[in-house]
Amino acid sequence: MEGTPAHRLYDAIKRVVGSYAFRVVVQGILTLWAVTTFTFVLIRQMPGNPIQIKIDQLMDQRQLSYDDALKSAAGLYDFDPDEPLIQQYVKYIGKLARGDLGKSILSAGTPVADQIRRYLPWTLFSVGSGLLISFTLGVLLGMSMAYWRGGLLDNTMTVVASIMYGVPDFVIALLLLLVAGVQLELFKVGDVLGGISQDVEAGFNVPYITSLVQHAGLPVLTYVWTTVGGWILTMKSSTISTLGEDYITVAKARGLPERRIVLAYVGRNAMLPLITRLAISIGFVVGGSVIIEFIFQYPGLGRLLYTAINGRDYTTMQGVFLVISAAVVVSNILADLVFGLLDPRVRVGGQK
Amino acid sequence: MSENKVVLSVRDLSVHYLTQRGALKAVSHASFDLHKGETLALMGESGCGKSTLNLALMRLLPGNARVPNGAIVYTRRDGSTIDVLKMNQDRLRRFRWSECAMVFQAALNSLNPVLRVRDMFYDTARAHGETNHHKVRRRALELFRKVRLDPERVFNAYPHELSGGMRQRVLIALGLLLDPQIVILDEPTTAVDILTQRTIIDVLLSIKDELNFSIIFISHDLSVAAEMADTVGTMYAGEIVELGPVNDMFYRPRHAYTLGLLEAIPRLSAGAEELTSIPGSPPDLVEPPSGCKFHIRCPFATDICAKETPPMEVVGDGHSAACWHADQVYARALQFTGAES
Amino acid sequence: MSQPLVELRHVDRSFKQGRVMIPVLQDINLTVAPNEILCLVGESGCGKTTTGKIIVGLLSQSAGDVLYQGRPVGEFRGKERSAYRRALQIVHQDPFASLNSAHTIGQILSYPLKRHKMVHSRAELRRRIWELLTLVDLTPPGDVVNKFPHQLSGGQRQRVSIARALTVEPKLIVADEAVSMVDVSIRVSLLKMMHRLRDQLNLAIVFITHDLALAKYFAWEGRIGVMYLGRMVELGPTPDVIVNPAHPYTRALISAIPEADPELTRRKERMILRSEDIPSLTEIPAGCAFHPRCPFFVPGLCDSRVPPLADAEGFRHQVACLPLTQGDALREYGDAFREEQS
Repeated sequence: MEGTPAHRLYDAIKRVVGSYAFRVVVQGILTLWAVTTFTFVLIRQMPGNPIQIKIDQLMDQRQLSYDDALKSAAGLYDFDPDEPLIQQYVKYIGKLARGDLGKSILSAGTPVADQIRRYLPWTLFSVGSGLLISFTLGVLLGMSMAYWRGGLLDNTMTVVASIMYGVPDFVIALLLLLVAGVQLELFKVGDVLGGISQDVEAGFNVPYITSLVQHAGLPVLTYVWTTVGGWILTMKSSTISTLGEDYITVAKARGLPERRIVLAYVGRNAMLPLITRLAISIGFVVGGSVIIEFIFQYPGLGRLLYTAINGRDYTTMQGVFLVISAAVVVSNILADLVFGLLDPRVRVGGQK
Repeated sequence: MSENKVVLSVRDLSVHYLTQRGALKAVSHASFDLHKGETLALMGESGCGKSTLNLALMRLLPGNARVPNGAIVYTRRDGSTIDVLKMNQDRLRRFRWSECAMVFQAALNSLNPVLRVRDMFYDTARAHGETNHHKVRRRALELFRKVRLDPERVFNAYPHELSGGMRQRVLIALGLLLDPQIVILDEPTTAVDILTQRTIIDVLLSIKDELNFSIIFISHDLSVAAEMADTVGTMYAGEIVELGPVNDMFYRPRHAYTLGLLEAIPRLSAGAEELTSIPGSPPDLVEPPSGCKFHIRCPFATDICAKETPPMEVVGDGHSAACWHADQVYARALQFTGAES
Repeated sequence: MSQPLVELRHVDRSFKQGRVMIPVLQDINLTVAPNEILCLVGESGCGKTTTGKIIVGLLSQSAGDVLYQGRPVGEFRGKERSAYRRALQIVHQDPFASLNSAHTIGQILSYPLKRHKMVHSRAELRRRIWELLTLVDLTPPGDVVNKFPHQLSGGQRQRVSIARALTVEPKLIVADEAVSMVDVSIRVSLLKMMHRLRDQLNLAIVFITHDLALAKYFAWEGRIGVMYLGRMVELGPTPDVIVNPAHPYTRALISAIPEADPELTRRKERMILRSEDIPSLTEIPAGCAFHPRCPFFVPGLCDSRVPPLADAEGFRHQVACLPLTQGDALREYGDAFREEQS
C-alpha cells in the first residue's frame, strides 16, 4: 500500500506543503499581495488625478488647448484613470506577475523598474552603512555599560542614549545640516544638497570616495545618531539580564577566561533578542527615510517616493511600496533563519 | 573519617550583602572542616545562607557582597595549603573547577543554551590547559557512562534536548572532568521527579565511591541529606547552629532548630504520625534578633536565649551545637526518635 | 455511601501541540465524596494537575462525563451554573503568581465577595474578611488586611490564597502543590490548618503533590490515587496504598524515596527498573504504559492490553495491573508477584 506511486506522490506533496520553506514562501507571497492591493486602492483614493495634473501642466507650459493636452497626456500614460478600478487592478496585477512595474507618470515613459534600480543603491548604501555603524556601536557600548554598570560610562551614556533615542530624526538632520554644514563647514552644503557629483567616476578611487562621504556623510550620520540610542539601551538591558543567568556564574566557576565568557556566553546570548530587531530594521532600510532624504536632497528611494506622492505618480508609488514590502518580508524570513542558526532552541521549522 | 586529612577548612567566615537598609548578614561566623572523601551536608531553609556560603567558597559572590572576616584554607594534593580568599585572580581561576567544582540544581539554567554539551567540556578543559580534544572527549564519554547517560548522544546534544535529570547528570560529569578534590552540590535533587532523584542519588553515591572526592552538599531536603551525608550541618539565619555525624544529627540532635526540622517532616514509613511545625518565620538578617537568632521561634527559649549568643560547644564525638538548652533538646529528641543515648 | 460531590467517568483529555494531539489524560474514573480527602500523586507529566483542573471545571474534558452532585456539568445554566462554579475552588502552587501584587489583601478578598454578592453591606464585607483571615490563622486580621502580597511571607501568602478560595463558600478545594514552595518548618502548620478547615467547613479536599510522604501525612484518613502517564494506576485508602502498594510503579516510587532516617534509608531495598527513561506523552507504550520499565513485565500480556483499574486479590484497593487483577489463567503471575513482595 505504502509503495504505490499515488501514495508516494501524496506523501511528497504532503511533505512539501507541510514544510517550513513552503509555508514561509506562501506567507510571503500572500503578504505582498495584500500590501500591493491595499496600496493600489489607497493611492487611488488620494485627492487629485495625475492626468488632470499633467493636462494642467501641459496647458500651462506649452499653451495647448484642453483637448490637445488631453490627447497628448493620454498618450504618455499606459493606463486610463477613468477606467473602472477593478479593470485597472486586473491589468496591474497581470503586468506585475510578468515582472513589469509599469511606466512612471511623472517622468513620462521611464519604466518604474529603471527608476528604482537607479535610486535603490543610494538608499541601501546610506541607511545600510548607518545601520551597520549604529548596530556595532550600540552593541559594543551597551555591553560595556552593562559590564561596568553604575560606572561613569554607564551613567553618562544612559542619559545620552535616552536623549538620542527621543529626539525626532528630522530635528537631528536639520541640526546637523546647520552645525556641521553651515557653522563648521565640514561639509559643503551646496554640494551635499543635490545628489551625485557628475564629474567623478564611479569606482574605488579617492575622489569618488570623498564625493561619497561628502554626499552620504550627513544622512548616514543622522541615521546613526537617531538609532544608536535604541541599540545601546536594548543591548544594555539584554546584557544585564544575561549576566544574571546561572550559566554565567557556572562559567566563572569553571574557571573560564573572561574573554571566552564575554564572547561565547554573555555576548552571544545577549545579542539574540537584537538579531530579530536588526533583521526587521534591514527591511526598513530599503524604504529609507523620506524626510531625511528630502532634507539632504539625497537621491534615494525615499526622495523618489516623496516626489512620486507629490506628483500623484501612481505607478512609481506602487513600485516603491512593493519594493519596501518585499524587503520587509524577505528580512523577516532572514531573521527567522539567522535566529535559528544562533539559537538552537529555535530550530527553523522545528516542531517537536 | 576524622583520621583523614582535611581538604578544606573554613574558619569564622562571614558574608554580608550591602543593601539599602544596611548590611544583610547572610552568613555569620561559619566554621567547619571538610575531610578527604567526606560528604558534608548543609541543611536549612530558604534564606538560611547555605547558598551564599557555597558561593563564597568559590568566591563567586555577586558584586554587592563583602567578606568582613574569615578564612577558607584549601589543602592541595601535595599537602600545601592556601587561603582561597587571598588568591589572586589568575590563581583563583585555576583553582576553580580543577580543585573545587560546583554543580548547581537542575532547574537552574546552568548550561549555556547556545552551545553544545561538548563545547562546554572543551571550553572547561581548555581553560585549564588541556587542548587535546580527543583526550577530553574520551574522559567525558567515560564520565557519562559512569553517570548512566548515553555518551555519544549527550556529548553532541544541546542542553534543551536533554531532560532535567539528564542535564543534572551532565553537570555532575562536567564537575568531575578535571578530577577535583571537592565538589559542591547545590540542591542536586531539587525539582526533579522521584525516580530521577533516585538515579541521581545512586549515581552520586557510586561515583563518589569510585573517585573518592569530597562533597559539600546543600539541600533543604533532610531525607536526601540523611541518605548521602557523613556529616550534617544545620544552618539557621546565616549561622551553622549544629554540626555532627549524620546519625547523631538525626537521632540525637542538640539544637532546638534541628529538632524542629526533624519533627516537621513527614516520613513515608512512619504510618500515622504527629508532626509539629515551627511557629513564625525566619528573622530579618539586616537587623537580626539578639542572642540566639532562633529564640523567637524556639519552644525551649528562656531569658538567656534572648540576651546572649550561645557558643558552639562540643557535645559529642565530632558533634557540636550552639544551644543554651542542648540537654533539654537532647532529652526530647530521645523521646521523639526513640534512639538510645 | 452518600452521593459523590464530583464524579469523573471515563474522562479523556488531550492537548494539541503543533499537529499532534497529546493524550494527557486517558480513561480517568474518579469520585470525590463530600468532606473527603483525596490525594493525587505522580511525577511531572502524569496528568495530576489536569485532573485537578477538570474536577473544578477549569478545563473541560475531551471525552467522558464530569458530574457534579450526580448531574453532568454541561447541563448547568444560569444560577445553577454559578453555584456549581462557586462550589469548586482551586489553590495554586505559587501564591506570588496567583495573587495580584497591586492589590492589598483586603481588596483581594473583597473582590470575589462583592462579585458573587456574598455580602450586602460594607460592614458585612469587613466582618467577612476578618472572619476569613481568622479562619486561615492570619491574626490579628487588622495587621494583614492592608498589606500587599509582597509584604507577606510565602506561607502567609498561601494562607491568603486559601482564604480567597473560601470567600465563595466552596464545597471542594483542589490544592495543587499548594505547599510545595513553602519551607519545611512552616508546611505542617498549613497542612494542619487545611485539615481544620475541612472539619470546620465540611470541605472536600483534593490534594495534588509529587511528594508521597507529604501525601501520606495529609491523606492518612483519606484516599490516594497514583497516576502515571495520564492514567490512574492505583487508587485506594492511603494506609493501604502506602503500606501495601500493589502496582509496580507505586512500589518503585515508594522504594525510591529517601527517608529522613539515616539507617532506615540506607537499608531500604530499592526496586531496580528495567529502564530509567520516562516515555514521552506522544509515544505512550502500548498496553500498560509502565511495561517497558516494569521489572514484573509479562511479555505478550502487559504490552498488548491496557489494564483497567480493578480490584486485585490480596489487596483492599484498586490497581491497574493485568497480572494482579485478571482471572485464573493469570493468577500464577500475581502469586509470584505477591510472593516476591512479602
